[in-house]
Amino acid sequence: MQSVANKPAPDVRPHSGIDLRFGSNAMRLSGRQWAVVGLAFLAFCVFTPGLWERAEKLDPPPDYRIPYDLSNDYWLFSRCARLAEGRGEMPVLGDSVVWGQYVKRDATLSHYLGERAGAPRFANLGLDGGHPAALAGLLRYYGGDIAGGRVVLHCNLLWTASKKHDLSSEKEFRFNHPALVPQFVPCIPCYTETGSKRLSIAIERQMTFFNWANHLRVAYFGQQDLPTWTLEHPTADPVAAMGAGLPTADDPLRHEPISWTARGVEKQDFAWVDLETSLQWRFFREAVETLRARGNKVFVLVGPFNEHMLNDESLKVYAERKRAVAAWLEANQVPHLVPPPLPTELFADASHPLAEGYRLLAEQLWANADFARFAGK
Amino acid sequence: MLFHTWTFAIFFAVVYPVYRLTKGTRLELPWLLAASYVFYGWWNPLYLILIAYGTIMDYWIVVRMEKSRRKKWWIALSVVSNLGLLGFFKYAGFVATNLNWLLAHLGIGYALPQPDILLPVGISFFTFQSMSYIIDCYRGHVKREHSFLRYAVYVSLFTQLVAGPIERASNLLRQLREEHRITREDVSDGLSLFVVGLFKKVALADYLALYVDKVYGAPGNFEAPALALATFAFAWQIYFDFSGYTDMARGIARMMGLRLMLNFNNPYLADSLGDFWQRWHISLSTWFKDYVYIPLGGNRGGTLLTYRNMVLTMVISGLWHGAAWTFLIWGVLHAAGRVLTRELERSRFYRERVPRPVKQLGVFAFVTFAWIFFRAQSVGDAWLIVSRIATPGRAIVTFVWTLAWTFLRSLSVGDAWRIATSSWTDSAFPLMALALVLAVWGYQFLYESKARTMLEWAPVRVSLAVVLVVYVATFPAGAAQKFIYFQF
Repeated sequence: MQSVANKPAPDVRPHSGIDLRFGSNAMRLSGRQWAVVGLAFLAFCVFTPGLWERAEKLDPPPDYRIPYDLSNDYWLFSRCARLAEGRGEMPVLGDSVVWGQYVKRDATLSHYLGERAGAPRFANLGLDGGHPAALAGLLRYYGGDIAGGRVVLHCNLLWTASKKHDLSSEKEFRFNHPALVPQFVPCIPCYTETGSKRLSIAIERQMTFFNWANHLRVAYFGQQDLPTWTLEHPTADPVAAMGAGLPTADDPLRHEPISWTARGVEKQDFAWVDLETSLQWRFFREAVETLRARGNKVFVLVGPFNEHMLNDESLKVYAERKRAVAAWLEANQVPHLVPPPLPTELFADASHPLAEGYRLLAEQLWANADFARFAGK
Repeated sequence: MLFHTWTFAIFFAVVYPVYRLTKGTRLELPWLLAASYVFYGWWNPLYLILIAYGTIMDYWIVVRMEKSRRKKWWIALSVVSNLGLLGFFKYAGFVATNLNWLLAHLGIGYALPQPDILLPVGISFFTFQSMSYIIDCYRGHVKREHSFLRYAVYVSLFTQLVAGPIERASNLLRQLREEHRITREDVSDGLSLFVVGLFKKVALADYLALYVDKVYGAPGNFEAPALALATFAFAWQIYFDFSGYTDMARGIARMMGLRLMLNFNNPYLADSLGDFWQRWHISLSTWFKDYVYIPLGGNRGGTLLTYRNMVLTMVISGLWHGAAWTFLIWGVLHAAGRVLTRELERSRFYRERVPRPVKQLGVFAFVTFAWIFFRAQSVGDAWLIVSRIATPGRAIVTFVWTLAWTFLRSLSVGDAWRIATSSWTDSAFPLMALALVLAVWGYQFLYESKARTMLEWAPVRVSLAVVLVVYVATFPAGAAQKFIYFQF
């Protein structure tokens, strides 16, 4: 019985000289050879992003902002933050209001602040769709290079205008920048990505190499992975595509620069989320705390917000929220400005100003004593 | 939990060191069992009830069978239990659908309720593995396993639980009994297998899937070139997917000091259909050979009976893959292929006169053709694909007609050419994918030729390994995709 019990497993037809107990290919390496492979791979991971950065031309023109199509390229954000730091420019951080959704790059808040200062002292590091949860993640994982400097941070209360904006809705929906938000704790109810995917996001965003690999996807392969890109460009040469250089900073206008009234938008009644329970407000505070923990001096700009678009009820709540935010900033000794509402015709929608609105906002900021002190005017 | 995810990396990073510490101690088996159940329960904790039931039932049956004089009753009970489980979860929906169709055509106003059952991952694999143990015990080929824990580990070992290789007690259970150290060679060999498997899955299978899914998802939208290319791509996708999984499974087991059987041996280099089935999903082919084909009589009863047995085995094998007519047709096609080519393959002319590459291409063409039925979502889709591919003239006529018509509409020759060729754009298959597939095919040809020594040269192997690892890390195809064979 013992002998039959030890009968070897069914084998396959032998092929001369090939050890089929191992496998059907020659990729059999010894421990030492694997050590060599491991070292080579490690070297590749450690040095390639740096070497790539040197080889890839990024000479931002004045008022540079990360091109719209590269909004998910956090490695590029990190690089731009480093450049701004190197040039002694003050980063202006926030969502598409800072980025300038309805204006060209030479009509944004940072441009007009620079114009006021008489020199390009402000860097537009706005992130399209950068809600506070994403912003907090962006600063935590990719904003290390601006540690210690002065930062203007934009607070857009639109992100608390409904449970959906606030990400506290139980109903699943796709929101911007899921790779920046906390993957496990605190729990974002509308975020229903699989545990495995969350884990890979949580791990990969800590590693420069994977961020760089993502940069290749976003910047050169139309925000797709290489295989998907080749499906759309079956005969194209991926190496040539990677050598094509970064997309230009001169984005065409995303939307017609016309006011909300000309668009025919009606007054809104937002279902504001209580700040006590708001996730986005919690993440905004976290962003401020992350910056301050890194030694940054932070100035918070609350708004602009198109208050003309709100009905009476909603306006009342908004005013309360504004006061509460200002009170928190005051209590935490964060210099800030809650500017008066811009004229109605200077808004394109609920929160995005048109070019003249940005100019006026920059003027208001510049006239503010706290900001003057902060910016070292 | 998929092998090519961070979740598995963390799981293994916890399991492996503890396994090495507990190896050879009383804690080894409990730890392996716990790890395997966590791994399996990760999909759905309810599945654990199923695997625990199967394990307890089969273990108990073998205990009773050993003491009983009516062994046949016990083996019958086990077969009913295992196939009943498989039948309920895998075939209940298929049977109900077809019975309802029949009842409706007979004008009987009754319909069976359509069961809404989620097929538990890996059920076809672990039930077959468990059955092989019982049948081998019944035949006296293996000893009864006295340790329930060891038997439970044999059934549920996470490395090969969900998609094989379908191990035999004579191999895996024996290794679980033996005490041996994990050598450095085990670890490096395991790593070698794992990395190759990872590359096959992440860089190749998931890449080809993009094209295949697009075309097979709506075959009516595509013409002959795209359908033919997608079929070619699927042939390689399924090979890379399944053999990639197997390589990773074998690699992980090898790192744990366990040697799982070879499951794929460059099947697209086969020079006959018989040879193909000795190289493709070897653990399943040998399972069917040992537990279906030979018990049916094998080749002992003359030519006709041999063919009958071959056909039955292949058809059952087709149905094992899935409860659909497409799988059945796939099995029938392979059965027909085996029957029709068996004599030819034995002939002196075929063996000596036909050049091997011609045989290999012929086998590849047939196997690829049969994959159409395996992959298509319905028999109708499969037929559409076959009919479109089989009328190559159609594509040419379309091209010439468009060219002529455009030219007649007095556009320039350049415009006519552009418009005519645009009707072929649906066939655009990524050159990079084609290059990767041909590179692997070429590598396999080289490996089975006299030039193999060139590939075994250390600098070549090391460089290749670096390229594979760098590619997988830099250019994976999107999110981690499930393995095709998980659905079986």
